Amino acid sequence: MSTNTLTLASRVMTQIARDRRTIALIIVAPLVIATIAGYSISNKAMLNNAAPGILATLIFFFGFLITGISFLRERTQGTLERLMVAPVSRMDIVAGYLLGLVLFALMQTLIMFFYMVYVLDVTYQGDLWQILVFQVLMGIVAVSMGTFFSAFARNEFQMIQFIPLVIVPQIFLSGLFIPISQLPSVLEWISKFLPLTYGVEGIKALMQQGQNLLDVGKDIGILAAFAVGFLLLASLTLRKAGN
Amino acid sequence: MTEPAILVNNLNFYFGKLKVIDGMSMEIQPGATYGLLGPNGAGKTTLIRLMAGLLTPASGSVKCLGKTPSPAIAQKIGYMPQLPALYSELSVEQNIDFFARIYGMKNRKERAQRVEETIKVVDLWEKRKTQILKLSGGMKQRVSLACAIVHKPPLIFLDEPTVGLDPELRVHFWGYFESLTKAGSTLIISSHTFDDAAHCQRLAFLRLGKVVAQGTPAELRAITGQKESTLEDAFLFCIRRDAAAKNYGTINSGVKENVH
Repeated sequence: MSTNTLTLASRVMTQIARDRRTIALIIVAPLVIATIAGYSISNKAMLNNAAPGILATLIFFFGFLITGISFLRERTQGTLERLMVAPVSRMDIVAGYLLGLVLFALMQTLIMFFYMVYVLDVTYQGDLWQILVFQVLMGIVAVSMGTFFSAFARNEFQMIQFIPLVIVPQIFLSGLFIPISQLPSVLEWISKFLPLTYGVEGIKALMQQGQNLLDVGKDIGILAAFAVGFLLLASLTLRKAGN
Repeated sequence: MTEPAILVNNLNFYFGKLKVIDGMSMEIQPGATYGLLGPNGAGKTTLIRLMAGLLTPASGSVKCLGKTPSPAIAQKIGYMPQLPALYSELSVEQNIDFFARIYGMKNRKERAQRVEETIKVVDLWEKRKTQILKLSGGMKQRVSLACAIVHKPPLIFLDEPTVGLDPELRVHFWGYFESLTKAGSTLIISSHTFDDAAHCQRLAFLRLGKVVAQGTPAELRAITGQKESTLEDAFLFCIRRDAAAKNYGTINSGVKENVH
């Protein structure tokens, strides 16, 4: 990992840490959502079944949103242009964001996980560290997607509009609410091309069935491919920012 | 003869089908303050972005310090864009320190010393811990300048650095610029005001993507043939001269067409 990546990551983290509202969004909002989910699903078995999917989905949603807006601001306020003139590679920029924001995703996961387990009394199987590793991968996919899609927004309002276009369909088709096998065949087919499907499938296997990371190797592989694909696309969009 | 800091040769660039840089050529010697003067839409920012390597020419070439703009020479370039381009949640010190690190100043002690020195140069020592979002426009411009010069680059691009500044601050800025050229840096400054132009050692008048005249302020003032001409008079004279030449060409080609 290059020094520039670390420098960029540390700047991203400092920047977020100095923005109290964003910190509140990162910490409080997931807890509010988890609380609503926890108290609206009164059936314990149903809550245990839904909790892993909610954990993966929230990381995915907030990772995408925070990255998209942060990167968009980097483009619109001119700092990206400044970085493009500096001796920093496009990959350094994307990797710096990835590292900085994934650490926040990890923090979010830990807060939500302990809240769900100790406050909402959700039971789980498997190792915590394996769940965290999987969630970090979900965070990486979300950050890479957010970076890529930010290239197509001109302002924050447009970036927000990607949520119903990019995130919401994935939530409905990922198996979080309705098992994928019960979806109409066209939607079932579409769900195979969406990263959140593999995120929900993998985290459910880890937390409900007590499987390990090797058992969910297929999900990890597909998520990693999504992450690499979006990272490459995101670094290509930086050329667009210059030209 | 020393190698030029910038060598632009028959440069062309388009935004879609619109030609925004039209056959520009110029040679800028090291250690000079070179002004790119012209109205909005003249191509000043695009030219600076081409020189800094942010844009790729459609044809023609740009050489910065003898090389095509690339990451290999990025270390030697300072760039202050038209927008302040700062991280608003971070403090003055954090912004400048970030750019110092990005430009390869690894040694913590040396970097801290240089950051302190630069903050003092732009006269913001009292505000060093203040977040950018709490600063006035003029202060942001000063931080932006500090971020561009913190690594002591030999070649500095400043895109409209004095726009929106009050007269007192403008004078301060020209003081900083003078100290930079005295230290050996080459400054490429874009502006649309003739007040700024008078401070430059050499100038290029730009209009509609073309260089209409180049020279020292005195040489350009002499173009009009009138005593006590201002740079503004010279600029207008060049525009009218070009327009007249264009009309003459059109008439001539029309005559030829009629003859044939």
